[in-house]
Amino acid sequence: MSGVIDITELEVRAGRTRLLHVDRWSVKAGEMHVVLGPNGAGKSTLLRALTGFVRPASGRACVLGEDVTTLGFRAMGHLRRRVAYMPQVLPPGGEMPLTVREVVAIGRTGLVGLGRRLRREDWRVVDAWIDRLGLAPVAGRRYSDGSGGEQRKTLIAKAMVQQPELLLLDEPTANLDLRWREEVVDAIETVHADEGVTTVMVCHELDVVPPSCDGLLLLEDGRAVAAGTEREVLTDVNVARLFGARVHVVWSDGRAAALPVGRGGEDA
Amino acid sequence: MPDLTLMLKLFAPVLAAGALSGGSTAAVGVYVVGMRVPLLGVCISHAALAGAVLGALAGLSGEWLMAPALGAAMAAALLLGLLDPRRLRADANVTMGFLFVLMLGLTFLGIGLLERQGSGREAAMGLLWGGLTFCTWRDVAYMAVVAAAQVGFLATFGKEMRAILFSRDHAAASGVRVGAVWTGFLVLTSAALAVNFQTVGGLMIYGLMVCPAAGAFQLVRGHGRALLVAVAMGAASGVGGFLLALWGNVPSAGAMIVLLAAGLAVAAWMGGRLRRG
Repeated sequence: MSGVIDITELEVRAGRTRLLHVDRWSVKAGEMHVVLGPNGAGKSTLLRALTGFVRPASGRACVLGEDVTTLGFRAMGHLRRRVAYMPQVLPPGGEMPLTVREVVAIGRTGLVGLGRRLRREDWRVVDAWIDRLGLAPVAGRRYSDGSGGEQRKTLIAKAMVQQPELLLLDEPTANLDLRWREEVVDAIETVHADEGVTTVMVCHELDVVPPSCDGLLLLEDGRAVAAGTEREVLTDVNVARLFGARVHVVWSDGRAAALPVGRGGEDA
Repeated sequence: MPDLTLMLKLFAPVLAAGALSGGSTAAVGVYVVGMRVPLLGVCISHAALAGAVLGALAGLSGEWLMAPALGAAMAAALLLGLLDPRRLRADANVTMGFLFVLMLGLTFLGIGLLERQGSGREAAMGLLWGGLTFCTWRDVAYMAVVAAAQVGFLATFGKEMRAILFSRDHAAASGVRVGAVWTGFLVLTSAALAVNFQTVGGLMIYGLMVCPAAGAFQLVRGHGRALLVAVAMGAASGVGGFLLALWGNVPSAGAMIVLLAAGLAVAAWMGGRLRRG
C-alpha cells in the first residue's frame, strides 16, 4: 500500500443497516478523484469514515499511511491537521459576526496548536489564499452576508490555509447557480494544479467533475459500482442506472454532462 | 443634596459588581447566542438556581449558597459537554430545554419546601430576583476571580473558541480539540453564572447573557470586536441598571433588563442603518 488513500473491504454500518461497502479503492499522491452518486449513496459517509467522524464496522482505510479504523483520539487529531475536510453542511450564519478573513484563518487553528496565537506568518498565508481565490473584496465582510458561492470559496480557502496533504471536499458546488458552480470548480482546479494537493471531491452532478480528474468512483446504495477514468465510468448505461433516468452522456472540453433522453431518444 | 463621595463609597462595590456581572455574563452570551444555543446559558443558570435553593433548604445562606450553586451548574455544564449533538436524535436545544424545565421544576419544588419551613420565602425571592444593592467587596472579589479566569481562557483559547463559534464540525475537521476546549468553556460559564446570579437573580441572568451579545452582533463585525462591544454593553447595563434603580427606587435587576432591552433596540436600529448606509 502506497497511496494517499488505500481502502480495503471497508464497511460502515448504522445498526443493521449497511451504509457503505467499498471493496478496494486507492488514490495516489497528487491525483484528483471524484466520488459520484445519487443522494444517499454513501458519498459523505465515505469522507466521514476517512476523517474518523464515523467508525467503520470492518475493513481498512489508510489515509496518509495511517489506518483510520484503528487510530486513537489523539492520533486522529494529528491526522486531521494534515487532511483538510470541507463538510457538506454550511454552518448556519445568521448570528455569527465572523468575517470572511476570520473564517479562512480557522483553517490554521489546528495546525498552530492548542493555546498558541496565530503569528504574522499565519495571517500572511491566510491573506495569500484570500487573494488567490478572489475573496479580497469581501474579506472584511461578515461570512454570513456572503452568497452561497462566496461562502464555498471561503471554505475552500479555509481548507487550503491548512496546507493539507489531502483535500476532501463534500459537495462543494451544492445549491449553487451555474456561474458560482463554475467559479468553485475553477477554484478547485487552480488549487489542485498549483499546489499539487491530492484531492477527493464528492458530488452528484456530472458537469462539475473537473477536467483534471484522474479517477472516478461511482457509488450506489452504499456500494462501489464502478471505478476508473472518467471515460470508463461515465457511460450512458452507468449514469442511467445510477440516477434512474434515461440519459445520454455528452462530452465537451474534457467535461461530461448528462442529457435526459425522452422516450423517442431511446429508440434513436 | 446627597454627598457624592459618600454615595460612591457606599455603592462602589455595587457598581463594581454590576460592571463585572454584566461584562462576565455578556462574554458567555457571545458564544451561546453565536452558536444559537441560548438555552445552554438558561439551563446552566437554572441549575445554579436549583443548587442554591437546595443549599438554602439544607440550611446554607449568604455566600455559602454559591457552593451548591456552583456544584449544580458545573454538573449541568459537564452533562451538556458530554452530550454530543451529532449523536443525539433530538436537536441539542430540545435536550437543553428539557434540562432547563427540570431545573426550574426542582427550583420551584425547593422554594415550596422553603416556604413550608417558614423563613425561606425571602431567601428564595432573593435567589430568583437577585440583590445587587447588597453586594459586598467579598462578592466583587469572587466575581473578579471568575472574570479574570474568563479573560485568561479567552486570551489563551480565543482562536479555538472562534473556530467552535463558527462550527463544531468544521473546527473538529481542522484538528481542533473541540471536546476539551468546549468543556473548559462550559465549566467557566457555570462558574460565571453561579457567582453572578445572586446579584441579578436566576431569572434575569438570561437577559444579561443574550441582550449584549445580540446587540453587539448588530453593530460590529469580527469575533474580538463583538466580544469587546458585548462586554462593554453588559458592564454598562450593570452599572446603568443600578443607577436607574437608585434614581427610580425600583428593583435593580428589572432596571438592568429594561436598560438592556432598550440597548438592544437601539443597536438593532443602528445596525440596520449601518447595513443600509
